[in-house]
Amino acid sequence: MAAPDGSGNTGNPIKEVVEVIARALVDHPESVRVTETDRRGTMVLSLTTAPGDMGKIIGRQGRTAAALRTLVALTAEKYGKRVQLDIRD
Amino acid sequence: MSLTTQITGFVQNVVNAMGIALTVNVEETSDGTRINLEGEEGGVLVRRGGEGLQALQHIVATAFRKQLGDDNRIVIDCNGFRKDKDAELRQMAGFIAEKARSSGIPQEMGPLNPYERRIVHLAIAEDPSVTSESIGDAFMKTVIISTKK
Repeated sequence: MAAPDGSGNTGNPIKEVVEVIARALVDHPESVRVTETDRRGTMVLSLTTAPGDMGKIIGRQGRTAAALRTLVALTAEKYGKRVQLDIRD
Repeated sequence: MSLTTQITGFVQNVVNAMGIALTVNVEETSDGTRINLEGEEGGVLVRRGGEGLQALQHIVATAFRKQLGDDNRIVIDCNGFRKDKDAELRQMAGFIAEKARSSGIPQEMGPLNPYERRIVHLAIAEDPSVTSESIGDAFMKTVIISTKK
């Protein structure tokens, strides 16, 4: 399946959800990075952005981050995975 | 590329990434643009009170806030879930307004989120005998419906 955002990323759908959404929210989409690690059977995705963009991901009262986590959780559930999203600032 | 095309493309990218097969249709209404997602796999967005739909709506509104401005409203629906909820909310507002009128006592509705409050305020505004106001300072607020003096 080709990556719908044209990123060439075809590996991990949950990571792709984070990337597609994060890139749409920030001023510097080229600086969005999502790295994947495994912590005792849980997939841990760490999201980093350009320094000034983190606030855009978090949103007022953390509402945007909460919405992102909701969509990640629904995707993870669909694929039967346990996922933790770390938003690093 | 028009704003609606950009937004539709983004929504399609998100649902594709989520692995849910849905078609994206755009409907222009008097109350702004509605993006209707349709397909059998829509349940993923609709379950738990439409939590996924609400999250997607928030992401779209945030990502396109500058281009949308204050007057352009985008609503994302899935298999008519939002439409049904909106109708239910308007009907409920009507019942509560009737109760306020017959009892003369202001009635509470909610707590409701901003989207839901807007629907209630618009429904109440159609009836000249009643008035509505939101109270509270959190995201979710209670709407008070009372008879006009």
